[in-house]
Amino acid sequence: MRNKIIGIIGLVVLIAILLVALFAESLAPYSPYAQTGAPFERPSAAHLLGTNDIGQDIFSELIYGARNSLMVGAISAGISLVIGILVGVLSGWFGGWLDRLLGKVTTFFMTIPFLPSVIILSTFSGGGIWSMSVILGLLSWTEIARVLRSSTMQLRQSYAIKLLRGMGASNLYILRRHVLPELLPLLLYRAVTRVKSGILAESTMSFLGLGNPVAKSWGSIIYYAQAKNALLNGSWVWWIVPPGLCICAISMALMLIAYSLEGKGSAQKEASA
Amino acid sequence: MKKRFVHYLIILAVVIVVNFFIPRLLPGSPIRTLVGEDTGSMTAEEKMGILEAYHLTDPLYKQFGYYIRDLFTGNWGVSYSKRLPITELILPAAGWTLLLSGTTMLLSVLLGSLLGAASALRRRKKKDLGIVLSTTFLSSIPPFWIAILLLGVFGAKLGWFPTYGAYSMWSDAQGFAKIADIAWHMVLPVLALVLTSLMPYFSTTRYSVLKTMSADYVRMARFRGLPEHKINTGYILRNAFVPVFTLLMMDVGYLLSGSVLVETVFSYPGLGVLMRDAVSARDYPLIQYTFLISSVLTIAALFAADLCYHRIDPSLEAQNAQ
Repeated sequence: MRNKIIGIIGLVVLIAILLVALFAESLAPYSPYAQTGAPFERPSAAHLLGTNDIGQDIFSELIYGARNSLMVGAISAGISLVIGILVGVLSGWFGGWLDRLLGKVTTFFMTIPFLPSVIILSTFSGGGIWSMSVILGLLSWTEIARVLRSSTMQLRQSYAIKLLRGMGASNLYILRRHVLPELLPLLLYRAVTRVKSGILAESTMSFLGLGNPVAKSWGSIIYYAQAKNALLNGSWVWWIVPPGLCICAISMALMLIAYSLEGKGSAQKEASA
Repeated sequence: MKKRFVHYLIILAVVIVVNFFIPRLLPGSPIRTLVGEDTGSMTAEEKMGILEAYHLTDPLYKQFGYYIRDLFTGNWGVSYSKRLPITELILPAAGWTLLLSGTTMLLSVLLGSLLGAASALRRRKKKDLGIVLSTTFLSSIPPFWIAILLLGVFGAKLGWFPTYGAYSMWSDAQGFAKIADIAWHMVLPVLALVLTSLMPYFSTTRYSVLKTMSADYVRMARFRGLPEHKINTGYILRNAFVPVFTLLMMDVGYLLSGSVLVETVFSYPGLGVLMRDAVSARDYPLIQYTFLISSVLTIAALFAADLCYHRIDPSLEAQNAQ
């Protein structure tokens, strides 16, 4: 029961943010790309969170920023899921030399340092939504692959699957119709935590100035505020605090959903997320 | 053990090779990445001279030979944005980063597992809404953001802590005063890092202690009439620590990541700031070598953790031997 309530709270927050991202055009009072006020205005009725260094409305930036965060979170999670499923299921199902080879690749990707790799790859690739997502996806599939590999191996040993194989069902058929559906709950949990990590990573990259310099994202708002000394003139209260709270809110919503999906033994799962 | 060593050596080799190829796969003239933006004023001979000085007119395999030689002889070239040899920039920066991230790791493991164990021993409930909410909240906070807030409140507004750097620039304090000064500058960055990296240790310890508490040998110890504090320290905590160490080992790979972020907020002169400066100046040689050095540090830390891990949990040795 408690799990359910926690999940619903998370879902409500997530849907609210999704709606904001979808209807950003009609919700935002101004275009976040246009100069709609004087630079460095304090919050007022016209500009709820004031304006930034080039007179753009911060509240509108915040609304449009939801898009970038969600897109990068979702696409990067999608990429790491696809790679993770392919590697995990194939090596768990076929075993042998394929398993050994993919195991080597997986441990390699687990050992390379995450943030330095992200930084070097994104400085050399520009910072669009897609290149960010691909980099993050490529660097974060190993956990999924490892979990899926061991569950697939277990499934392969199960009576039902052995029976199917005995009846002559093809590998592809069994994988598609019986193995993947069995793995679905596990996948769902991993997918949600991956989206969360993707969103945090996107904000990190944007904060380091590795993103597209004109795109609006919560991390890049903080990057510009920091670069324009928002800390010294006190404007950080409305310039830096709100985007950070947005990142906290969405990431917490996703974690609560993951928690309720996982149910049993979640304390430990949460620790590794 | 030899096998593990070879494994890490191979990864190191791959990183070194990748580091060689990434800039060479880039579109555009290498001159720009070597000397920066002011290429317009150069004559064709000057450009040729630079290419020859960096051996870029030679075939690729020869370039690779030069690269390996320079790598091991410490001849890493000059950063054009800082106008200093790269080794002189990177080595002190690596020292500061290690100091910051080492302190953080020590404190978050200690604090996290102490709090986790205490909360498990005090409130013997598996699920606690307050704990769930507070742990998810703390692990949802972006480290750079909490760093900015701490800097804003305790540094800029209240003035309790320094807002910039790793030590006071214009003081000639020596000995203890110098150490105190460095520690003073570390308070806020370490606080930001510990706050955001504490939670996994807390939850893992808590979960693991709760699980061990219901184990048969613990119940047996209680039947034997051992005093409660002996059961806690000798039986529960001792066994509950293994998963915490596993987590620590996995975390070592992220050791530098957090530090890199928080450094940029506090202008702490470590690898993170160096990397950020290099990125914003598009100083490719410097980016490359900060990447290389932080990868080497991470791989070394992972290897060290791996060694300790096998000491702590001997059952793994048996598994590996199979």
